[in-house]
Amino acid sequence: MKSIDLDSLKKAWKNEGSFEDRRLSEAEIENYLRNKSRDISRLFRKGLIFDIVLKSIIGVSLMGLFFLLKSNLSFAIISFAILLILWAIRYQWLMISRIPETSSPDPVIKTTLERKITFYRRRYINSLYVGALSNSLFILAGILYYFYFKYGEIRPLQWDDYLVFGITMILGFALGAYDQIAQHSFQVKQLESSLQEIDENLMSTLSLRDQRNRKRRLILAFVLVLICGLLLLTYLIFR
Amino acid sequence: MKHDRTHGQFLDLIHKHQSIIHKICFVYCKNSADREDLQQEIILQLWKSFPSFHGKAAFSTWMYRVALNTAINQTRRPRLFIDSSSSPEPFYDPSDAYMHSEEIRILYKAISKLKKIEKAIMLLWLEEKSYEEIAELIGITAKHVSVKLVRVRARLTEIISNLN
Repeated sequence: MKSIDLDSLKKAWKNEGSFEDRRLSEAEIENYLRNKSRDISRLFRKGLIFDIVLKSIIGVSLMGLFFLLKSNLSFAIISFAILLILWAIRYQWLMISRIPETSSPDPVIKTTLERKITFYRRRYINSLYVGALSNSLFILAGILYYFYFKYGEIRPLQWDDYLVFGITMILGFALGAYDQIAQHSFQVKQLESSLQEIDENLMSTLSLRDQRNRKRRLILAFVLVLICGLLLLTYLIFR
Repeated sequence: MKHDRTHGQFLDLIHKHQSIIHKICFVYCKNSADREDLQQEIILQLWKSFPSFHGKAAFSTWMYRVALNTAINQTRRPRLFIDSSSSPEPFYDPSDAYMHSEEIRILYKAISKLKKIEKAIMLLWLEEKSYEEIAELIGITAKHVSVKLVRVRARLTEIISNLN
């Protein structure tokens, strides 16, 4: 009875004309093509581009300080920060080109999900830490500008100054990383739940097959024991 | 010139087979705004993938592949101050009521309670695709599809009987 209901719904689906009647005009399709994608890949790509721009701005502002502050300490700090920014920008730039697209020549749902999840979990996660470096670099640039405008130089620092500035920069990095990882996980978990849905079915199907095989083996063993028992009984009766 | 021809060809094919997009959006979206978004995303992804379509399979088959992949890969954005685990209940758009028959409305309500992959399998079953085609599209074996389909059908029947 239940399956008959579903089959009647299938017939209704087949005969439903509304899907054919609803027509998108060419203008509407053209309009869609002009708009931007809202795919997860684009979201992550946008995040990387934003980070590259932010790091470039911090880099330029640090280069300005390079000429303004002339002590050995500032030279060392700024040189290190600029080298770090250049490395980070290159890293993020390479990451952009590696982001997998949903559209591929022959998209298989499971493969596309696996490809995306592997990339986001194993490779993209590193770029979130690189992205969070922007917070520390921003704080560093802020501290250096503060020194410049207040004292015109970087004053000799005590160990507790290093401690306070260090903790502030680490906190900036940790908060940035936490926020980005939380957002990233939220998006990736949705993809993972779909993949899990496919794999769960595979696993339960495999276990069903295993159960069926075990049942067959048990029946076979039972039949063999029964035959042996009957043969033994026959031998005992007729010997 | 070549690009114009490809563009024109693409528009013609989409125009011809657009019922596939409407069906997928109908199955995967909770409201008309979501439907509009998914419709756009599918058309964009089809356009991006179009150069790789060489006509080995039927255009409609290829379109199902790209469109379903897009629908399944579509994710929600995190929202501040909203419990992200709870998604809004799907509603049947009143403006659509006159378009669909009673059976289709029941089917919509029931399918909306299925998971993403289950929806894909159900849709392909409704579209009378073979087990092999479904298996190839999802990336599992035909045997697994048959097992899965039995479960999805049972679940759908249960949901419909609860709805009734």
